[in-house]
Amino acid sequence: MSGVILAVDDSASMRQMVRFTLEGAGYKVIQANDGVEALELAKTSGADLVLTDVNMPRMDGLTLVRELRALDSYKYVPMLVLTTESGQDTKMRGKQAGATGWIVKPFNPEQLLATIARVLQ
Amino acid sequence: MSATVESTKGASPAAAAAGFTPELQMANMLGLCEAQMESAIQDSDKAVDALIQAFTCLVDTSRSVNALTAQLPVEIRETVGAGLNQQVEAISKQMASAVVAFQFYDKLSQRLGHVRYSLSTLALFVCDRAQTTSPDQWRRLLNTLRRLYRTEEERQIFQSVMEGIAEEGTVPIAALKEEPAGVQVGEIELF
Repeated sequence: MSGVILAVDDSASMRQMVRFTLEGAGYKVIQANDGVEALELAKTSGADLVLTDVNMPRMDGLTLVRELRALDSYKYVPMLVLTTESGQDTKMRGKQAGATGWIVKPFNPEQLLATIARVLQ
Repeated sequence: MSATVESTKGASPAAAAAGFTPELQMANMLGLCEAQMESAIQDSDKAVDALIQAFTCLVDTSRSVNALTAQLPVEIRETVGAGLNQQVEAISKQMASAVVAFQFYDKLSQRLGHVRYSLSTLALFVCDRAQTTSPDQWRRLLNTLRRLYRTEEERQIFQSVMEGIAEEGTVPIAALKEEPAGVQVGEIELF
């Protein structure tokens, strides 16, 4: 597998788990602590996929998705939300913001990789 | 909420007694619970950080072994390579399980954070007698807490407790003590 994945989460341990999983499969992982940092990073280093948490300080994940979708370079980039939230209302807000999919934590490494491979096709 | 605890700190027994109100005592007890929880979370965070560091080393070592195995001369790979690959495969499976387990700790921290916030919100609430005597204010407080609980587990507990209170007048503790369902990963939905 190849490609650059931007992983966004305010929990360092979650970022580590995502990094282990994705790097093990051959992806390059760049990381951000919140939406603001992710937005800056996304502008300077092109990502092939964005994987973001929802509840983060400074800028939440759904705002990040909306902001990225407004950029020409991220209009068609897959964006997956990885969160503990499973409520239909929040999912709908994610869909409306422009998210490609919704993954509820905890993720299974194999399933996460299969989903990423699918949306990157 | 710590302000309420602080307010009686260092005061003489007489002064403390003069400032005694049931509401303040309740707020202080809630503050104590929150402080205990915060301390326990901080200790656990340190332990889990150390565990993650160790896990990171294990992952890196396992990947190095895997890479070295691939570099072995063909004749050696044919004899010991299969066994090594099997071992590396077994380690990878264990690591995948560990990745899921570590995420549960993250979820636990988040849920305990919600409980801490609930305790501090309740402590502020009980200090205001006008609020505590108003059913509308209690409903508002309940709605605030309901919005706080975002995981499926939190929502289920909230619903069970509220239904139990409505039907039996008490928190249905027994109903909440269910057998653990085992490790369950979250669902995936593509839009």
